[in-house]
Amino acid sequence: MANKLFSTAFFQERVPLFISPLLLLGGWAWVCQAGIFPEQILVSPLRVYEAAAELWNSGDLQMHLQHSLSRLAFGFCAGSLLGLVFGVLMGLFKPVAQYCSPLFNAIRQVPTIAFIPMLILIFGVEETFKIVVVAKAAFFPVSLAAYDAVKGIPRSYFEVARVYQLPARYLITRIILPATVPPVLTGLRLSLGRSWMVLVAAELLAADSGIGQMMELGRQMFRIDIVMVGVFITGLVGFVLDRGFRTLEGHLVKWKYR
Amino acid sequence: MLKRLKNSLRLSALQGVVLPVLLLLLWDYLSRQGAAFAYAFVPVIDIWHSLLELLTNGELLTNLLATLQTAMVGLVIGGSLGLMVGGLMGISRTVDKIIGPLYHTVRQVPLLGWIPLIGLWFGNGLTSKVLIVCLAAFYPMVLNTYEGMRHVEKQYIEVGQVLKFTRWQIFIHVLMPASLPSIITGVMHALAFAWISTVGSELLFSTGPGLGGLMQTAQSASRMDIVVLCVASIGVTGFIMNYGFSRLSRHLLRWRNVR
Repeated sequence: MANKLFSTAFFQERVPLFISPLLLLGGWAWVCQAGIFPEQILVSPLRVYEAAAELWNSGDLQMHLQHSLSRLAFGFCAGSLLGLVFGVLMGLFKPVAQYCSPLFNAIRQVPTIAFIPMLILIFGVEETFKIVVVAKAAFFPVSLAAYDAVKGIPRSYFEVARVYQLPARYLITRIILPATVPPVLTGLRLSLGRSWMVLVAAELLAADSGIGQMMELGRQMFRIDIVMVGVFITGLVGFVLDRGFRTLEGHLVKWKYR
Repeated sequence: MLKRLKNSLRLSALQGVVLPVLLLLLWDYLSRQGAAFAYAFVPVIDIWHSLLELLTNGELLTNLLATLQTAMVGLVIGGSLGLMVGGLMGISRTVDKIIGPLYHTVRQVPLLGWIPLIGLWFGNGLTSKVLIVCLAAFYPMVLNTYEGMRHVEKQYIEVGQVLKFTRWQIFIHVLMPASLPSIITGVMHALAFAWISTVGSELLFSTGPGLGGLMQTAQSASRMDIVVLCVASIGVTGFIMNYGFSRLSRHLLRWRNVR
């Protein structure tokens, strides 16, 4: 195992991945050391690390992160679940699609961020608004993916099911689910990323807690170290969510690539 | 036959109108339910009056043009940088190994998460907005150009080598045309992201003209009518740009014999 870990293949594969980010970090540290920019503009990586440690020890970082993530979880679950149901209904039943698709497509054209001022006016700046915004961001990619997936099932499958008088539950578990799961998972991953971005934007605009609010406060106090911690954390969260979902996707749709 | 088709067309169009009309009626109904509701839900007729007002005093057009300008400047700068970087990554393994990891690291940060930092560095003005839009257009362009170049069929390149093409000739005559569809998809994504991020950055840097700024001011003055109009104009403009570009791309790629 250890042998394999340090084999040349490992070095050729993995080590180059770190070269350029490390070079950037080194360059950043060097620029700070050389004092090209004043402290208010650029702080050293060490200072950013210290700020992160300080925020962590005081418990602020955990608090902000927890608030942001719970908003994300609530909004994402509500939005994607509704989106899934709606997408499948639109795909299965023509009348639903006929009645809903013009409105659906019209709202889809507007970026979620543009809805933020409107939602603030309707729901106020409290939690509801943030969860609604996240849910809106999650709803559309998932419902679109589900709709396309259901539409993509060949008509003959349904005909076979009808010929064999397949009960509805088998129709769902044997035909609809396998056909829709892979694209829906991709839709879920996309919408998770978008939800996270929209949530950060919403917190930047109006919030009393959360990573976005932490960054906004840091900006107002000219604490560039805190802002950079925020940038780093949002990136890390985005990365972990995306990677986690990809892994999940790989496990769930294993049968597809066999 | 034709008559029936016409009838069914008319019917489906009618069906599509039902829900928006119901929504509009609900909105109007809510606006009459006391002061608490009237705060958020302005009567539909008021929105109409504001539309006429904003159109006649040119406020809507001025702000729309400012937003479009920001989006286009960012799209052109960010998109062409992305094309270059993605192209270089696609041609050269070394560049790919150096820039690739850096690109994927930086890309993890949500676009609008950069806003506080960029605001501190470059202020609240046009520079910051354009920078965010550049970034938004840059990412998809790099990705799609790179993917397009990488997925060019090996045989095509081999044919070029057999014919003693120079590397430059291979680039111009083989790699570029073969990856054009992917690049155009990239432009399409870049356009959409540039539009979204322009609105977002205008909301967050609410100085200067622009639909986002107008919307933000209207929100603090609780003028829902103006907010609604801004949302609608953002949606319509985005749709027109998308539609126009997809028509254009179909025209540009008509030489391809797929479908």
